[in-house]
Amino acid sequence: MIRNIEHITKSLIDERMPQWFNTLRIQGLSRFIETGIPAVSDPNWKYTDLEALKKLAFDVSENGELNEWELLNQFRNHKDINIVLLNGAFSVKHSDLDNLEKGVLVSTLHEAVKNNAPHIQERLTKYPMTDTAAFIALNQALNGPGVYILVDEKVVSNRLIHIIHVTHPGRQNFASMPRTLIVMEPFSEAAIFESHVAFGDSRTYFSNALTDIFMNENATLHYCKSQKESLKAFHIGHTRVWQERDSSFDGFSFMAGGRLTRNNVDAVLNGEGANARLNAFYSVNNSQHVDNHTSIEHRVPNCASNQLYKGILNDSARAVFNGRILVRPEAQKTNSYQLNKNLLLGSGCRVDTKPQLEIFADDVKCTHGATIGQLDEDEMFYLQTRGIGKNAASRMLAEGFLSDLLNTVKNAAVREKLNSLTRRSFEAS
Amino acid sequence: MSKEEITKMKDAMFEIKDLCVNVGKTTILKGINLTIHPGEVHAVMGPNGSGKSTLAKVIAGHPDYQATKGEILYEINRKKIDILDLAPEERAREGIFMAYQYPVEIPGVSTSVFLRAAFNEICKHQGAEEMDPLDFDAYLREKMKILNMDDKFINRPVNVDFSGGEKKRNEILQMAVLNPRFSVLDETDSGLDIDSMRIVADGINKLRRKDNAILLITHYQRLLNYVVPDFVHILRHGQIVRSEGKELAMKVEEKGYDWLS
Repeated sequence: MIRNIEHITKSLIDERMPQWFNTLRIQGLSRFIETGIPAVSDPNWKYTDLEALKKLAFDVSENGELNEWELLNQFRNHKDINIVLLNGAFSVKHSDLDNLEKGVLVSTLHEAVKNNAPHIQERLTKYPMTDTAAFIALNQALNGPGVYILVDEKVVSNRLIHIIHVTHPGRQNFASMPRTLIVMEPFSEAAIFESHVAFGDSRTYFSNALTDIFMNENATLHYCKSQKESLKAFHIGHTRVWQERDSSFDGFSFMAGGRLTRNNVDAVLNGEGANARLNAFYSVNNSQHVDNHTSIEHRVPNCASNQLYKGILNDSARAVFNGRILVRPEAQKTNSYQLNKNLLLGSGCRVDTKPQLEIFADDVKCTHGATIGQLDEDEMFYLQTRGIGKNAASRMLAEGFLSDLLNTVKNAAVREKLNSLTRRSFEAS
Repeated sequence: MSKEEITKMKDAMFEIKDLCVNVGKTTILKGINLTIHPGEVHAVMGPNGSGKSTLAKVIAGHPDYQATKGEILYEINRKKIDILDLAPEERAREGIFMAYQYPVEIPGVSTSVFLRAAFNEICKHQGAEEMDPLDFDAYLREKMKILNMDDKFINRPVNVDFSGGEKKRNEILQMAVLNPRFSVLDETDSGLDIDSMRIVADGINKLRRKDNAILLITHYQRLLNYVVPDFVHILRHGQIVRSEGKELAMKVEEKGYDWLS
């Protein structure tokens, strides 16, 4: 998959970087080589076959220059603080770093490591490498300069921070390793939107993204990961959220897909009173494949987690949902809710959905459910008898299927952006 | 001249000829004939299972109700078209409307978005100018007043969490907004308390005009005290067994259906 992976160890070591960071990269590489690319025999990959990804050879270095920067304008909104990364590298020139609010720090992640930003080593080594998943390890070995965002204690950032990850390799078969670290200090609040985008559908690439979010006491983050890659692209992404006491994570994922998409969102509720919302919408057509995995670990009492994952499938698209909820013995009074709803509009589409509940405490409330269905015939007929044609009626019902989900997004700027992105996905289908 | 002779002189706008309808393999309607002229209100009454709702559904174009024989002629631009050849949405755009016995809930779709889409589809088809959201909002509020409906319904999803009476009022609201030439009201009075029924009946009466027609399908005579029909037809076992003036409804109220064969 990655060309000459065994021989790139040397190039991982950068003399200018601290020792621990170089070690982390080498550990990541060994871990990836040790695990290999997961096969469908691995329960976590039962419904997503990576054979096609495995067969292609990708290069990790890319020095293609982008001449058409104006193409970026389709993704930018002047109301936001836009941060642009091209092929995993931070573009200072095209980012609005002058407009940052006081107490909001943005830099490249590698820069922050080099300058030994407070607690950076602790955060980047928080999760032990020994049981790290293959693609997280791969990102840790090969990640690009990435982006680091810190919102200082008690700072409330009002403008939406929009991280735009553009993958646009000059040559084919490029592997991009976007890396994001977000730290929310105690009592801070911000809205951060990460978009993974491409210019058109002509490029074959592999985007392997890793985002880590640390939520300190009483911090609030409105977060969205949105993804619309080239139709020839593979996207595997992990978002890991670590939550301390009374923190609130309001998260959303929007997957318009690529050729194959896997999106993992993991939350660890490590402080009492923390709550996590992981909602998502996926919309796939043709032969696109999208796989959403969530994992919520309730470690302490009195936390809440909510998941509402909704998808619309057209043609012969496929979707997978696997929602793991782990409630540790100490985590009494946990309140956890999970629902996956799928609307199948194509005749050849398929959904595999699975809750995975591991509950070791006895005083908890956990509800879960899943639905897979087509458009309701009575609803269709009702709209038709009012003069609305079949296509318009099915679009109206599909938008209705989505609307209550978008209404759960509390932050207005995030919601507006999602509204316009999802509307575009309806127009395309 | 008798009333019958007068109406014969005008052109019929809606004519059902020898209509037979199957649901699955069961024949429900067995040769229905019905002629309706502009300005008329016809009532079709009948006991449960007589085929009343089937008649409404086949006029609206429900795919489960298949006409095996006969035609439904409807006057469009002075030509008679068999609407059995038209899709449900095409019938609606030509001005045919059905008020549902059991209105359907549409989660996530607001009443105003839905009604504006419907209104504009019909405008587009008839070559009229479409309405923008602001103008439509004002138009909708005006129509809601006719039915004593609260403004809060405008942004609520269609029929979701509406009471039975509110749903029926919403049907007549749609009739007021879409301004059809021919309306079938399928048991609009069922499940309504007397106050709601008066409001609904007043609404229907306000929508009666010389150039439109209404077919009321009902189980009870009650609604017909408020919306007085020109003709009453009794449907039994899939056939119209008697057609008379409004007095027939009173007779049915007194004697039931069994004396009619």
